[in-house]
Amino acid sequence: MKRILRLLICCLLVLSGTQLWAQDNDRLDFENSTKPTAAEKLFVNRVEPLFIEKCGGCHGTSAKEIKGEFDMRTRASLMKGGESGDAAIILREAGKSPLVFAIQRQDGLEMPPKENDRLSPEQIAWVRKWIDADAPWPDSARRKQFDQAEWTDSAADGITVATSGGLSEQWTNRRYQPDNLWAYQPIKTVEVPFTDGADSMNPIDAFIERALAEKDIQPLPSADRATLIRRLTYDLTGLPPSPSEIRAFVDDKSENAYSKHVDRLLESRHYGEHWAKHWLDVVRYADSAGFANDFPRPNAWRYRDYVIRSLNDDKPYDQFMSEQVAGDEINPDDPDSLIAVGFLRMGPWEHTSMSVAAVTRQQFLDDVTNSVGVTFLAHELRCASCHDHKFDPIPTRDYYSMQAVFASVQFADVPLPYQAYENTDGFVEAEVRVKRQQAAGGVKSLKTLAKTEWPVEEWDQDSEVKGHAKVNNKRKQILARELKRFRPLAYSLYSGPDRPFQSNRAIVGPGKRNGNARAVNILTGGSIETPGEQVPASVLSVISRWSVENAPAFSDGFPQTTSGRRAALAKWLSDPNNPLPARVIANRVWQYHFGRGLAANPSNFGATGTKPTHPELLDFLANYLVENRWSLKKLHRLIVSSKAWRRAAGLVAKAVDEKDPDNQLYARFTPRRLTAEELRDSMLAVSGELNRQMGGIPARPEINMEVAMQPRHIMGSVAPAYQPDRTPARRNRRTIYAERIRTMRDPLLEVFNQPGLDTSCERRDASTITPQAFTLFNSQNSHDRSLALASRIAKTKATLNERIQAAFQASFGRDATMDELATCKKHYNRTLALRKKTDQKATSQYPNHVVRQMVEEMTGLTFYWVEDLDVYRDDYQADLKPWDVDEETRVLADICLVLFNSNEFIYVY
Amino acid sequence: MSHSEFRRREFLYGMGASLGGVALTDLMAEGTTAPGPLAVKQPHLPSKAKAVIMLYMAGGPSHIDTFDPKPKLEKLDMKKFVRKDKFASAMASGERYFVKSPFKFRNTGKSGIPMCEHFERLAGVADDLCVYRGCQAESINHPTANYHMNTGNRFGGDPGIGAWVTYGLGSVNQDLPGFMVLPEVAYPQGGAANWSNGFLPPYFQGTTLRSKGSPILDLFPPPGVSREQQRNSLDLLAELNQKHAEKHPDHAELAARIQNYEMTFRMQAQVPDLLDISGETEQTQRMYGLHDSESADFGRRCLLARRLVEKGVRFVQVYTAGWDSHDYIDRAHSKRIKSIDAPFAALIKDLKQRGMLDETLVVWTGEFGRSPDNGKRGGGQRAGRDHNAKGMGMVFAGGGVKAGSVVGATDEIGEKAVEVVNPIRNVHVTLLRLLGLDDNKLTYFHGGRFKQLSQTGGEVIDELIG
Repeated sequence: MKRILRLLICCLLVLSGTQLWAQDNDRLDFENSTKPTAAEKLFVNRVEPLFIEKCGGCHGTSAKEIKGEFDMRTRASLMKGGESGDAAIILREAGKSPLVFAIQRQDGLEMPPKENDRLSPEQIAWVRKWIDADAPWPDSARRKQFDQAEWTDSAADGITVATSGGLSEQWTNRRYQPDNLWAYQPIKTVEVPFTDGADSMNPIDAFIERALAEKDIQPLPSADRATLIRRLTYDLTGLPPSPSEIRAFVDDKSENAYSKHVDRLLESRHYGEHWAKHWLDVVRYADSAGFANDFPRPNAWRYRDYVIRSLNDDKPYDQFMSEQVAGDEINPDDPDSLIAVGFLRMGPWEHTSMSVAAVTRQQFLDDVTNSVGVTFLAHELRCASCHDHKFDPIPTRDYYSMQAVFASVQFADVPLPYQAYENTDGFVEAEVRVKRQQAAGGVKSLKTLAKTEWPVEEWDQDSEVKGHAKVNNKRKQILARELKRFRPLAYSLYSGPDRPFQSNRAIVGPGKRNGNARAVNILTGGSIETPGEQVPASVLSVISRWSVENAPAFSDGFPQTTSGRRAALAKWLSDPNNPLPARVIANRVWQYHFGRGLAANPSNFGATGTKPTHPELLDFLANYLVENRWSLKKLHRLIVSSKAWRRAAGLVAKAVDEKDPDNQLYARFTPRRLTAEELRDSMLAVSGELNRQMGGIPARPEINMEVAMQPRHIMGSVAPAYQPDRTPARRNRRTIYAERIRTMRDPLLEVFNQPGLDTSCERRDASTITPQAFTLFNSQNSHDRSLALASRIAKTKATLNERIQAAFQASFGRDATMDELATCKKHYNRTLALRKKTDQKATSQYPNHVVRQMVEEMTGLTFYWVEDLDVYRDDYQADLKPWDVDEETRVLADICLVLFNSNEFIYVY
Repeated sequence: MSHSEFRRREFLYGMGASLGGVALTDLMAEGTTAPGPLAVKQPHLPSKAKAVIMLYMAGGPSHIDTFDPKPKLEKLDMKKFVRKDKFASAMASGERYFVKSPFKFRNTGKSGIPMCEHFERLAGVADDLCVYRGCQAESINHPTANYHMNTGNRFGGDPGIGAWVTYGLGSVNQDLPGFMVLPEVAYPQGGAANWSNGFLPPYFQGTTLRSKGSPILDLFPPPGVSREQQRNSLDLLAELNQKHAEKHPDHAELAARIQNYEMTFRMQAQVPDLLDISGETEQTQRMYGLHDSESADFGRRCLLARRLVEKGVRFVQVYTAGWDSHDYIDRAHSKRIKSIDAPFAALIKDLKQRGMLDETLVVWTGEFGRSPDNGKRGGGQRAGRDHNAKGMGMVFAGGGVKAGSVVGATDEIGEKAVEVVNPIRNVHVTLLRLLGLDDNKLTYFHGGRFKQLSQTGGEVIDELIG
């Protein structure tokens, strides 16, 4: 405000109160005889609501709370200005009005202060126009003089949207730019553009090429066959093609060669595994609960396998959605439906003895409401939990109505026999192991070790006693939960009245179903301590009241019974007239194929999300999906068959790349880096170690040993050290099956941008950072994979030339050039010479115990304990190690390591 | 500028990217002038503080037993306590009793800041400290409270403060990450999410220098691979990558990956240097408590923090746990205090004598405070304290805070803040302000809105600013 003062001193025109009054009177007399002027309408419809929304919080409340003594509730006070005493607006001179400086954020004065409240250029223009038109401020008498129609503004400046209504009338009547409402518009039946009469043209290309032609851009031709089969195989299965698969396609001269291979890959069981990864990113799948204890969710894997199964079976997407939202209500006897609803509990959640039950329950309700919004509707609904949505037509009332749909959700781990299609392999051994751990008793004192292993010479006995007790207690709790993994339970839920939950204890079996669901109230400011009006269960009102004439609605009203709310939600989501879900999934699928969605924020279709580049194409795809019984595989086939998807990667032309630097028009293919999972899976596939078995309890791969052994602080104590599975077959499975622990990530995956497990990820980052090079070049994992590949090759190929060629074939699917061959041989000979100097003994044996430490809270001193590493001790089957092979193989492994690290390996073109 | 070109320019400044010391000049030689994400940026407002060292006492240190004496509790000791919260956790229910502090207090320095008897060394720098008693947390669970204090968001997933600050100011030293974390062997509850980059680009992620084993994961290859051998393999990689790049001249990201491998090689030599404190004088080492087994670990990391800030690192966090004294607070807290007393005091003194204190903000805090009362566990009364979100203690030094002062107050039993009461978000806004950053301007568009450290905005606590 001090700045306002300074600015205002420069202003010449300062009106006294009397002048102002006189002028107002003059104007009123004049205006009384006329209909509302354009400027008056501008004020009433746009400027005033803007002031209230953007400035009202600080400059429009009671005089006591007003900031900077600047009151924006009347014309007079606006002209009076703030604590400086100088006017904030200069009539008819917007260009000199400090208020305008402030909203334009120029000269250091920036209002409203928050970035989110920043006025759009258009909104600034309204204010300027209004000031330049003498800033008319019709009083209530004047407003009443004419009926609503006379005050109505032209639609060009925005339109109103019917909803269930905001907390304020201002919000209810506010105006939206029509292009920000694209996602609520009905999905149009789009005519495929006509292009040179080619009937056989893929409709996608008709849309894409029309847009290219408009910009006069000549797209690149198709990628060559070797490139294409690699791209296709990664795209549909997340794995590299084998050299023989590459040859089969390259040599296939039949007319339908490509489509045959598309079909083959879509039928591959690896398709479901790869595309499930995309889905799990969105729903935040994890095998642990997060927060203080991060306890295991021992039966969550059945949901992961359900997703893979559903995708491989090409389950109609509407059914896939419905099962996850309301499977238990719709089809209570179907095992998969009971597993599917685990989706609603996928977020991090816990209730401990330190928590307040009402708070943790509300946390769940907020989480599930938002999660359903993000996943199926591409809307972060959480924004509307404290106030009506700032940008989108989503009133707080709708947020809590959506929440009320879940008010009867009660957690239960439901007994459900394993189905024939579920993998229970390894149960016996794993269960025996947990029981053995339980029987073995807890951790041991340093005293049980030789003194040479002690990290310190003495330690506090009392700390040890207390610390060990807590570590052992936590161990017991975790092991008890681990044991639940082997009971046929589904991580599920049911509809019923509130059921008390205890601290983190799993509740087996559904409880009482009869009784009323807890009522849901609008929580003022999002706080459970200030409940407001009670709201009924319902869905987003903008869809039924505004979007579409025949929008999905509920003839008898939305059910308010304890059971049936979610079934109704599922019905609404799957209704083809609901414009959101089909667009949302079509756009997600497009993104995973092309690297970018037609709408670039696949979880945000609201005003702040990026608008679709090809809106008609998006609608076409959404319709195509619905018309083809929501078959995702048909959609994949359509997309990967398009010329747009098959184009070469590369430079189009300098001029073109400048016109479309982000390749939004698809004139070329955008290369991509392998994802974390693809990278690990590819190395295993190429080295020949990949166990392609599907499903089942989470696999535990070897991870960085330091991370595995590092004490993981959980409530009051520490979690047991991470130990991998005993056999390579169990460890070396596809990454989708690797255990996902929220507070202990596999650094290999994390560093290659596997998203965090707590928040939904709409699109992965693929940044290049230095730790990636450390991990891929130095980690035990990379060295083990390289050695396995080298050993596999050395067994069948005798000469160095053959071996190097085989390594290139395995890693790149091509022969090495003469040049490359020479370089590799040079490297080989040099390494051989260098290695002679080092003695390759068995240098890294696996430990059979670990010494760990932490501060004991009851004494404030560090205590130590010895933890038995039973897996390593008992018949651990290590991966191949350098001392298991001959020198030639070790040196060849160095070349394999380099190939795994190369750009050719990690990028898909 | 295309997305990929931008990436290429960005990468060199990524985390250790620059630890390797290639950096600006090499890049400039390629003709790129666009500043990388860690390039120094002008703050929004004039300010004194340029760097932050945050000493994080995981578990929740008791304000009542450190910097906020409550004589009233002497009289109430072991008497019944009744709590009347509407939404009380199980921790606050059952039979409860008051607990007096087992420690003696005295006023320290010219400013007379009260401190518990076990702060022997810290008393010597009292006049540089600003004790704040008005902060209130919102969660009484460790991980959510940790996330709140460290990221502004109780549920995690958001960028750590250090990530925000580095995003806002860049890093003075392009050869080092802007945000570094010195954890104990055991990470605090909530784990690495406490210093994640959240939705900010990964260059702003806190880089941990691990206490045990390899300071950076996989810094070195497995045993049996010599440095020469590694160099040889890197040469082969460079050659193969070069040939590949010739086939894809337009693919800008390739260069980034090529450079990255060269940097890893250099970092293998540089990181150990960074951690080597043998060049510090005997006197310095002694001052930081390195000769005393109780304080050596924290002391080493405080000394390291100073070295990092000296080299231009923007934000350093040093974690130490064990403050969750539900029982035996006498023993537990006295030990924890002794473990930090000399290092904390030395850090202030050392920064001051090097003329760095004015520009370095030191923050001492936990995730919440502790209650004036305790519950009966196992049937007996034991002198300890439960979690307390409504009352806690923080200490600031340097960086433009009001030195030699006590700001705010808790009630007469230390149950809740009653003067200069502010939520964590206001502390965050103030911390940013001390660095010249305006929380409302330090935003990043994500998930449909401009996100900020304070979540939805907050106020500067003027009383803390000198």
